[in-house]
Amino acid sequence: MTEYAIRITRLSYSYPDGTKALEDVDLDERVALVGPSGAGKSTLLLHLNGVLSGKGMIRVMGKPLGDTALREIRRHVGLVFQNPDDQLFCPTVFEDVAFGPLNLSISPQEIPHRVERALRDVGLDQSIRNRPSHHLSHGERKRVALASVLIMEPDILALDEPSSNLDPRNRRHFIELVASLPSTLVLATHDLGMVMALCPRTALMDRGKIWADGETRRILADARLMEEHGLEVP
Amino acid sequence: MRHNFIDRYANLDSPLHVLEARTKILGYLSLIAALLLMPGRNDVVLLVYAFVAAILVGASQVPLGYIVGRSLVILPFVLLAGIAAPWTNSFDGARFMALATRSFLSVTILLLMTSTTPFPELLRGLQKLGCPRILILNLGFLYRYLFVLTEEVLRMRQARDCRRAGRAPPRVELKLLGSMLGSLVLRSFERAERMYQAMLSRGYAGEFPVLAPRRFTWRDLTFLAGIALLIVSSFRYAGR
Repeated sequence: MTEYAIRITRLSYSYPDGTKALEDVDLDERVALVGPSGAGKSTLLLHLNGVLSGKGMIRVMGKPLGDTALREIRRHVGLVFQNPDDQLFCPTVFEDVAFGPLNLSISPQEIPHRVERALRDVGLDQSIRNRPSHHLSHGERKRVALASVLIMEPDILALDEPSSNLDPRNRRHFIELVASLPSTLVLATHDLGMVMALCPRTALMDRGKIWADGETRRILADARLMEEHGLEVP
Repeated sequence: MRHNFIDRYANLDSPLHVLEARTKILGYLSLIAALLLMPGRNDVVLLVYAFVAAILVGASQVPLGYIVGRSLVILPFVLLAGIAAPWTNSFDGARFMALATRSFLSVTILLLMTSTTPFPELLRGLQKLGCPRILILNLGFLYRYLFVLTEEVLRMRQARDCRRAGRAPPRVELKLLGSMLGSLVLRSFERAERMYQAMLSRGYAGEFPVLAPRRFTWRDLTFLAGIALLIVSSFRYAGR
């Protein structure tokens, strides 16, 4: 049996208000998780690094989630939130990008170099580091959010609606940027154009379940399946 | 959307901007304390302080209009004190002027502090001076999310204005305001939840890590020494 980057079996989770979400799925390489709003995509992503924990089994890099220290898991799985204002909570960009590595007890001397590299990797100018994130444009904030996760050098990158609220040019840049990253990718979105550009495999999720899983081209071309789950053939 | 940032001019590059945050906090606060505690009513001393404040404002490169405009905010309070003064037994115009000058100068100096120091640095300075961590953390979040919340309120107001024509009766207006406030609280609550998840995702384990970029140098020492000299000599002069 091949070892998947992430393997999920019979996962179920109920929010305090009773909504249920989730199901079986293996994630590896570059997978898109598509589905209508409220399908449970974000909930699933929050399980990948143990922020939420439901019933069932999740294995990350071959190890069950419960066995490894959470800190270790969060190093393996980098989660980028949909709204950069949720993700960036520090007074300055520098502090936000440095937040992860400082928590991982990486030596303080090394941090500035790492921040510099992370900002360069996402195509941002170094002059941005001392600015507060609320002075930045939405596109810049999205990049900083990505940098704040890339700096932890995760094996698996989980992105929640990375293209939402980006204008076409920023969206294209963001797609190129993500395409150039070496990590395993889990992409939750309903931006199907981006899915085709980035992910050879797609899993379709709706009402907490995976309804289809396979080659992106095949799934996105299935008009009946797509419409049944609130999507449309791109 | 445009905000009126509290530290709008904090990223200039003047002799005051390069000072370490602790220096400015200590220096300015002791200036203010000296101003307020100065015994007697000595116009010469007040004039000297006004002169020093003017020099500092000049050196800071912060637009004069900004500082003066903001300082005037204190005026209503001073006037209120002025109105109350005749009921105390020793009222006169000169005393009132001295009071007004002291208040005005204090606010000017405070503004100078906040507009020559980026807020994050100010926080770091306060922390190094021993201010409780939890307070610093909360102020940091406040600074970060104040604008996010303001935008949220502006958007909600726009949405409301788009769907109504003219003003409703006060009772309805109030009800509307109430539900807007309620939904703002809920939204903030949910945002806090998501923020916490984002913090956890990046390895947060209860400790907020900090790095300190600016260092205490001879410039800071000179600045503090200058202020100490001013305070000591003005007290000696006033106490004569």
